[in-house]
Amino acid sequence: MGLDNLFSILNILLVIGIAALAILLILKLEKLKQLQATNQGLKKSLNEMDEQAKLILRTDIELNKAQEELDKKITSLYALQRMSRAISSTLEENKIFKIIESTGIEDFGFEKSCAFLWDPVKKAFLQQANIGYSQAELETIQSYLKENQEAYLELLSSKKTVSSLSLSQEEKSKINKVFNVISFVISSVSPIGGSRGFLFMGTTDINMAISEGDEEMVTVLAHQIGQAIDNARLFEKTWHTQQQLERKVEERTHDLTKALEEVQMISKRKTDFVSAVSHELRTPLTSIKGYASILLAGKLGGIPPEVQERLEKINSHSDELTHFVNDLLDIARIEAGRMNMKKETFDLEELLRRVLDLLAGQLKEKNIALSYTIPKEANAVFADRGQLNRVFINLIGNALKFTPQGGKINIYAKISGNAVQIDISDTGCGMPHEAQQQIFEEFYRVDNTINQEAKGTGLGLSLVKHIIEAHQGKIWVKSTVGSGSTFSFTLPLPA
Amino acid sequence: MNTIMQKSVLEIGTGASKNRDCLQAVHEAISQAKTNLGKETAGLAIVFATIEFARPVVAKIIANLLGPTPVIGASSAAVISNQGIWKNGIVIMLVNFPEEIFVNHAFVKDMDQKGGVAGGLELAEKLLSGFAGKQRDLSVIFSDGIIKEKKGLITGLQEKLGRSFPVVGASASDNFHFSKTFVYANQEVFNNGACGLLFGGRVNFGLGIKHGWKTLGKPRYITKAVDNTVYEIDGKPAADTYQQYLGFDLPRLKTELKRISIFYPLGITLAGEKECLLRNIIAIGDDGSCVCQGDVPVNSQVRLMIGTKESALSATKQALDQAKEQLKNCQTHFALLFNSASRLMLLGRDANRELEIVKESLGENTPVIGLYTFGEQAPLTAAGYHGISYFHSQTFTILGIGTKN
Repeated sequence: MGLDNLFSILNILLVIGIAALAILLILKLEKLKQLQATNQGLKKSLNEMDEQAKLILRTDIELNKAQEELDKKITSLYALQRMSRAISSTLEENKIFKIIESTGIEDFGFEKSCAFLWDPVKKAFLQQANIGYSQAELETIQSYLKENQEAYLELLSSKKTVSSLSLSQEEKSKINKVFNVISFVISSVSPIGGSRGFLFMGTTDINMAISEGDEEMVTVLAHQIGQAIDNARLFEKTWHTQQQLERKVEERTHDLTKALEEVQMISKRKTDFVSAVSHELRTPLTSIKGYASILLAGKLGGIPPEVQERLEKINSHSDELTHFVNDLLDIARIEAGRMNMKKETFDLEELLRRVLDLLAGQLKEKNIALSYTIPKEANAVFADRGQLNRVFINLIGNALKFTPQGGKINIYAKISGNAVQIDISDTGCGMPHEAQQQIFEEFYRVDNTINQEAKGTGLGLSLVKHIIEAHQGKIWVKSTVGSGSTFSFTLPLPA
Repeated sequence: MNTIMQKSVLEIGTGASKNRDCLQAVHEAISQAKTNLGKETAGLAIVFATIEFARPVVAKIIANLLGPTPVIGASSAAVISNQGIWKNGIVIMLVNFPEEIFVNHAFVKDMDQKGGVAGGLELAEKLLSGFAGKQRDLSVIFSDGIIKEKKGLITGLQEKLGRSFPVVGASASDNFHFSKTFVYANQEVFNNGACGLLFGGRVNFGLGIKHGWKTLGKPRYITKAVDNTVYEIDGKPAADTYQQYLGFDLPRLKTELKRISIFYPLGITLAGEKECLLRNIIAIGDDGSCVCQGDVPVNSQVRLMIGTKESALSATKQALDQAKEQLKNCQTHFALLFNSASRLMLLGRDANRELEIVKESLGENTPVIGLYTFGEQAPLTAAGYHGISYFHSQTFTILGIGTKN
């Protein structure tokens, strides 16, 4: 009994134990199930994240490529800007390529470069720049260019850019071999005038793939070089022209100086001659006039009327000749700088009134109305009173001579700059344009009926011009045939 | 091997030139460095130059101009100095170390023939010559960036030198032709070799190494790999991973390899390390295998990585902070920068921003020179890696040198 009870109790405990274990197992299984579900969830999430990682990576590689290309372009642009600035700052053709050599091309992504220009005389491509090539390599390139001259000349004519990107595999391989590179760009250098050439840039970097951007960059640089060559050549041409011009001007100046010296020498001789002759003439003239006056005065006894008439002619002709000789002497003196101008400040109107008094008879005789206007501010002049008197007598005398009966003469003074300008206008016959150019020359007389009839030496206006110029003034004439003339001259104002 | 002459204080003079005439550039850079040093000779000259300088005549002129000064250096895709980053140029740093710092220099040639480990052992042996009884603090190595046995070199070196101190290195680069890279050693410049320095005494340094690339996508496992070639990831051809993510077929993947290699390297997850160890893919086989720059062990967990300019520059800042933290309150006398050539390509025109960050962090007048590398060598930070130097890719590595207070 006791044993049975014990077994019963043990059985109950066993059942309870088994039941507990079963519950525990169920709970564990449930937990495992949950863990498995969590694990599955985590695996799923991990796989999802891995898929997202793939997306990130694919986007990232594209972004990196874009960034690389952008970096490359920016670096190239900076390099292009630096090189362009350096190239455009020189006006010597042989320095342009030296600048490329010294500035370097690494920032363009290349490490080898050379440039050649076609010489039409030597019929060969001449090397201008070299970066990264040995002499032996350059010789290989030169002989290749000689063999393929036509192809390269065609490239220059087309002004194209070719590269590893655009050429066929065969052409590419050939160039790669000759120029010892893996990728390259060749762009024509085409200045508007003169010989053309090409710029080569290459790299041995197997990882550098030539892009359209590289082509563009090298093309722009080659274009800049072309423009710089144009500028240099234009400057050279202009400089040579200027040098030639300067030489010509120098030669011409030398010739002119020599001619002027000769003219001055001749003029001096003429002045000396005129002066000498005039002096020699004046002495006998004085005697002639003196004797004629004695005879006319009857100091040597009465003279028949025919003789008197002849003597009066001798006397008057002697006066004219003396006047002529005096004018000549004065011109010679002024030209030689021997005439002393006794300059002083005086009243212009007063001087003019005295001159008009002298000419009053002639004005009345020809019934010529003379008027003058001298404003107060233009009344005072600084001049040699005696010489200015001669100027007025000559100019008003001429106006009288060429103005017909009943005509008008007008004298007008005004301030013009730092001088007094005096205009003497008449309503005379006037003179043609060509006469106006020569009217102030010695012995020149306008070819008209009045001059043909009236006497004159052709020295009056020349003397006037000399006197005015000796006063640092100017004289000129404006005239219209049939409408009259206006002679104008200037005189300095008093200080 | 030579033991470098010591001076009582640390003196630095740097010079740089980008003159297109290499010989003229060497004259200019050395003249500047001597002027800045205030002396005609120095205890050590470190030279970094772009590939066109890698000519025997250039190395001879450097040696002639520097007289007895030992020279070590490497070729680079571009050179870094306080004056800027130049794709054509040379930078030279002349250093006189104080008496309490011991420095040995040595080089090894014909690495491919000798084998990486043997080469590393030879270099280590030369570096240790005359170093008996002196505490070893740091080793700096420059190696040809194209040699096959890069891992072996470090392994051999550390086997002999020990792992109680860091070995920091840079693999020389060229102008991205990946054809020949060079190291400079005294009056010679050669490929297929390495040169290095071993520092001892009271040298104080700070090392910072970061890349800034972030993980993307789910983790995967290397299921088949030999040395630096990954054949299978998750049981499928390795290139499949890239094809899936980028949506490219194999030929396009090969065409776009350079960009993919820089922007999306593989990242090996390392326990205890904040950043993954990056591996650039440098070639893709027709069978879909991927050849990496650096070893990839089987069973490694790998992720695809993604980098941006900003993340790369942020890493630069972190590496600088890391180096400064290690230098504690000690003044940085000068710094050497080993910057991945991939970063130069990634940053493009913004590469100068990185130099500005360096100058801002170290001070405008702290002498800095650097090169762009085809790989960097440095230990990992976690203690579990026992001071082993690993081959890194895409990192900005800074080695700041100071003196102990």
